[in-house]
Amino acid sequence: MNRRDILKFGAISAAAATATLTGCTTAPKPDNSVKPAVGMGSKAPLPAAKGPRVVIVGGGWSGLSVAKYTKKFAPNADVVLVEQRTQFHSCPISNLYLVGAVDLEFITHDYLQAARENKYTYFNASAIGIDKAQKIVKTTNGDIDYDYLVLSPGIDYDYSPWNVDLATEQRLRTEYPAGFMSPSEHMTIKSKLEDFEGGNFIITVPGGNYRCLPAPYERACLIADYFKKNEIDGKVLILDANHDITIKSEGFHSAYDEMYKDYVEYVPSAAIMSIDLENKKVIAGELEDEYEFTDAAFYPHVRGGKLLEVCGVAKDNAFNKMEGNIDPFTYEVIGEKNIFVAGDARPMGYSKSGNTSNSEGHYLGKLIAERILNNKDIKWKSPLTVCYSAVSAMPNHAISVRAEYEFKGKTLAGFTNVELSQEWRGKTGENNGKALMEWAKGMYRDMFNA
Amino acid sequence: MQRREFFKVVAGVGAVIVAPSLITTDLRADDGRLYKAYNKVQLVDGDGNPILASKLVEEENYIFNYPFVGVSSILIALPEKTETNVKLKSESGEEYIWKGGIGKKGNIVAYSSICSHQMTHVNKAESFISYQKRCQKTMACPRTGVMVCASHLSAYDVHKGSEVISGPAPQPLASIVLEHHDDDTLWAVGVLGADKFHEFFKAFKSELKEQYGGARKAKKKVKDTAQLVALADFTKDIIQY
Repeated sequence: MNRRDILKFGAISAAAATATLTGCTTAPKPDNSVKPAVGMGSKAPLPAAKGPRVVIVGGGWSGLSVAKYTKKFAPNADVVLVEQRTQFHSCPISNLYLVGAVDLEFITHDYLQAARENKYTYFNASAIGIDKAQKIVKTTNGDIDYDYLVLSPGIDYDYSPWNVDLATEQRLRTEYPAGFMSPSEHMTIKSKLEDFEGGNFIITVPGGNYRCLPAPYERACLIADYFKKNEIDGKVLILDANHDITIKSEGFHSAYDEMYKDYVEYVPSAAIMSIDLENKKVIAGELEDEYEFTDAAFYPHVRGGKLLEVCGVAKDNAFNKMEGNIDPFTYEVIGEKNIFVAGDARPMGYSKSGNTSNSEGHYLGKLIAERILNNKDIKWKSPLTVCYSAVSAMPNHAISVRAEYEFKGKTLAGFTNVELSQEWRGKTGENNGKALMEWAKGMYRDMFNA
Repeated sequence: MQRREFFKVVAGVGAVIVAPSLITTDLRADDGRLYKAYNKVQLVDGDGNPILASKLVEEENYIFNYPFVGVSSILIALPEKTETNVKLKSESGEEYIWKGGIGKKGNIVAYSSICSHQMTHVNKAESFISYQKRCQKTMACPRTGVMVCASHLSAYDVHKGSEVISGPAPQPLASIVLEHHDDDTLWAVGVLGADKFHEFFKAFKSELKEQYGGARKAKKKVKDTAQLVALADFTKDIIQY
């Protein structure tokens, strides 16, 4: 592992070290008032709880893992997963889907299977608010009582640093989606690539702690690979708000230099200043350089899922706006007993990745189970970030990182036990590529099988 | 056979398991799940000749299918005697005792290759889980001479009943209980610890069909003999980190 990479890898942690995670500058006061206007006012069509009810809002990597492991460790719990989607669509591996290296079926999974196998209830609805005093989650399909509540709404996009008006924001979301949230975004980008005839394809990398640190760089590699193999006279222009590639930089830089010299242009310190959609021009960087584009996937800053703000359990932090106002070790909302926030909406400077959320879900599920069974907490365990990034497809060649986290008091001190495998060439890179697929299959098994 | 080469499962109420093998040791677990006797099977080479413990190459990954036709296990002759009487704990909190390696040096161990995290396992196409020699650095942990699952980087201490050293694995690998006889032959007789066989057969139906002709065939218990081969001869691709 290269020392330079350790330093870059620790950049976000260094930022984290400057702010205690429980220190709150803009934390709203707890609002325990009943709001009869919120929700439908009628009970959700669920049988009476047969044990302590744990409601988990959000069926991403975090929610699925918390649901499974809470039920596993507290079989008497009545676990309900509230999810607005009718099927699961995996963000990890989606970059390979964009270039046709995996099909939609590989990254699409069945919520009903997860619920059947793991003996919890999948409730297809959107949560629209909570009544903390009455311990009720309001959903589009009625009210659900809870004893324990886990909010895992994931991220939302935050276009405010780009100073665009709402009309432009809406156009960006629709015409140039980031591709880090919904399957429709991924489908749109895939179509863009299939129709692409040449010119610049812009990818932006936001500042802050954005979802999946290496993903934009991986995406650049895979799109370049796609252009190269399909003899498309195009270039991936990476406008990075950060001063350098934020993770696995040696691997990505060498891939750009050696494999994609004519297909990738990497521009560091290129925060977006303005976007002109009519003329397809972007102004970026302190020197306000101008970049033209044929097409793009604009990845803005991220923030905590809007639901947290609606529920009054969010605060701004050193990285992003409106993430969970929680204790970093128990995930419990400050001042709100047995309401938790987990997954990418957490405020800690962890890598917002599938493996992080999944390992965190194991821990939080066990913690909630221990509260149910013995009314106590368990010893904190660091989440584990294991992250593979493909630098080419078919055959896949990849690089990887594994890391855990350490604290000083309640302040995140940074990454620990960091290991990097940045060799994408030859057999090592091919093995990394195979491990990437095996990692994904294992993760899907973990969430959807018993 | 030395009775001492076996173990006691400690927890709960006593329950004597009468094994079809020579085991008559008292085994105690909550309900007997942490030890299960299977067919007593002799380890043989490709020609059907008995494997002799003294001929094993140290630190080589050897594969044999046990206790089921479709389940591969890993046998290793370690360079030194293992620890003994190691107290281990399953994910559900049940405790059991792993007595240690067998053979004259007390260095031969065997484990199910099904990772306790998400069932990555040795198969004929590619293998992500294996013992990594002391001279091999691994990404999974600072130590060497450990079992590593390259899929999600869990590391297991093969000297201590495959106790988890690092990574997401929630419990040790299931141990394959071996016997070493006076004529230097090796036998598999049962499985100690929490296994993942049931989940494995559910999760890998298509793979088992491809490799063994279907789940039903893969679920058959191995009888009489099990062929021991080097991992490199069993699988097309060994992936280690």
